[in-house]
Amino acid sequence: MSIDAKAAMQAPPRLRRISVTGQLPIVTLLALAGITSLLTDRFLSPINLANLLVQSSIMSVIAMGMTFVIVAGGFDLSVGSVAALSGCVAALVMLKTTIAGGVAAGIAAGALIGLANGLVITALRVNPFITTLGTMVLVRGVVFLLTGGQAISGTFGLPDPFVRFGAERVLGVHALVWVPAILLSVLSVVLNLTPYGRKIFATGGNREAAYLSGIRVNVIVTSAYVWCGVLAGVAGVMLAARLQSGQPTAGEFYELTAIAAVVLGGAGLHGGEGQLYKSVIGVFIMVVLGNALNLLNVDSYWQRVAIGGVIIAAAAVGGIRQR
Amino acid sequence: MDGVARRFRDPREALTAGLVLIPQELRLVPALSVAENVMLGHLPSRRRLGLRVVNRRALQEQAGVLLARLGFRGDPDVRVDSLPHAERQLVVIARALSRRARVLILDEPTAALEAREVRRLFDTIASLKRDGVGIIYISHRLEEVLELADRCTVLRDGRVVAALERAAFDLTGLVHHMTGRDVEATSADPRRPGGAPLLTGEGVSLATGEVVAIAGLLGSGTDRVLRRLFGAAGAITVQRGDRRRALRGPGDGVDAGLGFVSADRAQGLVQGASVRDNILLAALDRAGRGPGGLWWSRAAADAIVCALMDALDIRPRDPDRAVRELSGGNQQKLLFARWLAAEVAVLLLDEPTHGIDVKAKAQIQRLIREFAERGGGVVFASTDFSEVLSTGDAVLAMRQGAIVARLPTSGLTERHLRATLQG
Repeated sequence: MSIDAKAAMQAPPRLRRISVTGQLPIVTLLALAGITSLLTDRFLSPINLANLLVQSSIMSVIAMGMTFVIVAGGFDLSVGSVAALSGCVAALVMLKTTIAGGVAAGIAAGALIGLANGLVITALRVNPFITTLGTMVLVRGVVFLLTGGQAISGTFGLPDPFVRFGAERVLGVHALVWVPAILLSVLSVVLNLTPYGRKIFATGGNREAAYLSGIRVNVIVTSAYVWCGVLAGVAGVMLAARLQSGQPTAGEFYELTAIAAVVLGGAGLHGGEGQLYKSVIGVFIMVVLGNALNLLNVDSYWQRVAIGGVIIAAAAVGGIRQR
Repeated sequence: MDGVARRFRDPREALTAGLVLIPQELRLVPALSVAENVMLGHLPSRRRLGLRVVNRRALQEQAGVLLARLGFRGDPDVRVDSLPHAERQLVVIARALSRRARVLILDEPTAALEAREVRRLFDTIASLKRDGVGIIYISHRLEEVLELADRCTVLRDGRVVAALERAAFDLTGLVHHMTGRDVEATSADPRRPGGAPLLTGEGVSLATGEVVAIAGLLGSGTDRVLRRLFGAAGAITVQRGDRRRALRGPGDGVDAGLGFVSADRAQGLVQGASVRDNILLAALDRAGRGPGGLWWSRAAADAIVCALMDALDIRPRDPDRAVRELSGGNQQKLLFARWLAAEVAVLLLDEPTHGIDVKAKAQIQRLIREFAERGGGVVFASTDFSEVLSTGDAVLAMRQGAIVARLPTSGLTERHLRATLQG
């Protein structure tokens, strides 16, 4: 086929793809930010904006991992516990060896739990919800056994460069913010621009069709859980740096926030759909909403009511859109 | 309805008016009994200790009367998922009658029935007609239309192209309206002798350039043979060309140059994904570029996809369109294209022309022949005996899960084939 014919064939779809409904998450975020900035001038202050980025950074990393699993047609409730485990393992190992050793051990712990989740779900065919509910509780127990319920910071605190990573700026931007920024660009390429990434979408879209097309669906699904575990591990290490210690109670309810963010990003929970950047936008929506309610001095009990309502509203809009 | 224009806002209003749709996918509650499924939504009840409880005796009686009227001779107390498809269909029709249906819409009701069951269904339809029930019968099988219909509406590309009284339509006329042109009957080409052995296993042997049909009545296990050969039903070893290959799953099957299309199209398609992604599903690594094929190249992907959409006449020519927007015939061609993209040597097709229109059916049958003529091999299972005879070089007759005969198709008649299958 000639180049021209191909170009002609592709022109209309390209136009069609830029639809308003597909960009709903970003529209929501901009509307939210616009309204908030009208109600209070503190919202657009440099300090507040920088603060928003830092607050979003750790959750963004977790939400990216969750996106892998949800696109592959799965679900992971264990990410909060895994983040706590990774943070504590990183702190413990760091105090005995080097910073690099600690970071590697923390992320490896996350990868291991992800691998375990994936193997139980694919090889033993246990429902993902039940499996990860189990690991969520189990891993939290392991964290308490490992730490004796105490925060891990050593006698003289965690090594200085590690603590500085959790607080200082690089090129004018908080160091913690660089982590999701770099991960987002690299992982977006993996998910969208490699045959491996297309297989994740296909497997989540119709597992049977992918299987009958020769795709090793069990390997693909397991790998998605490993990604999720690794990213939860990275988030746990970031959290330890920010808290200057490994906290056994850290990361509680992170799984719910992450799932909400992915849904706000328009992924739906049936698999085969989702984009990493949209999930990150979902995180921003959650964070900006919380920030706005804070700045407007809304009672913290009412904040929860509002955030819950927004999650349901977003899912409902997504549901109507699909019809 | 009844000479009055009615507007139904939801299925419930249509049901109340006496209009019942019976889709191909029967909607039954698998874990409930036959009688409960028949009376679902209005189970007879009585009061016990101030509570409404199901009146089991009335349930049995009422369901029994309706089922008997349809010639159902089974136990109404067994779970409905223990019944074969044809019996379940009767359960669904009985449920429609329990709602005093006055118009029944049957969508491809014979798609999964064998000859004897089709006969019984036709008897049921005749008796419903006598009782004053109107029937809208949707079918691709024109001989059924000719036998049953008093009036016939022909649709093409979503539009009504003809509405004819019984006296005014015949087979060629219907085909003409459905396709917009006259389709010549698929001719039996002179068959060439088979070449080198291509695939051997599970009692099937296929040579290069050969098309082998597997014929059997429903439930005879034809689909099972194809799935096993592909490695999708447990580990198996096959002779592929001059090598023995152990297949532990479809992944190994594809690596060995085999492609499989299931009878259930939905099983093979990622409905929400684009035509491009679906065509490339088995060949994603071929669209990779760079070291180790790591990068997915849109240009490389489109080169493959566009060429195949042209070659197979998949419409509309838009690789970005979601697969769910394509017609059944185009979806089936897409599944065919998927294996051409993967460059497999052997196609294993289960009911390749099931439920698609006459024109697409002829195209698929031609594609099967062409694939074999270019040095591939095809094994296909079909319950359409005229297709078996016109498209296959040889036919494997299956009875109760076993291949009982291998017959050359030249000189074979449908009657002879049917006799072999029924034993």
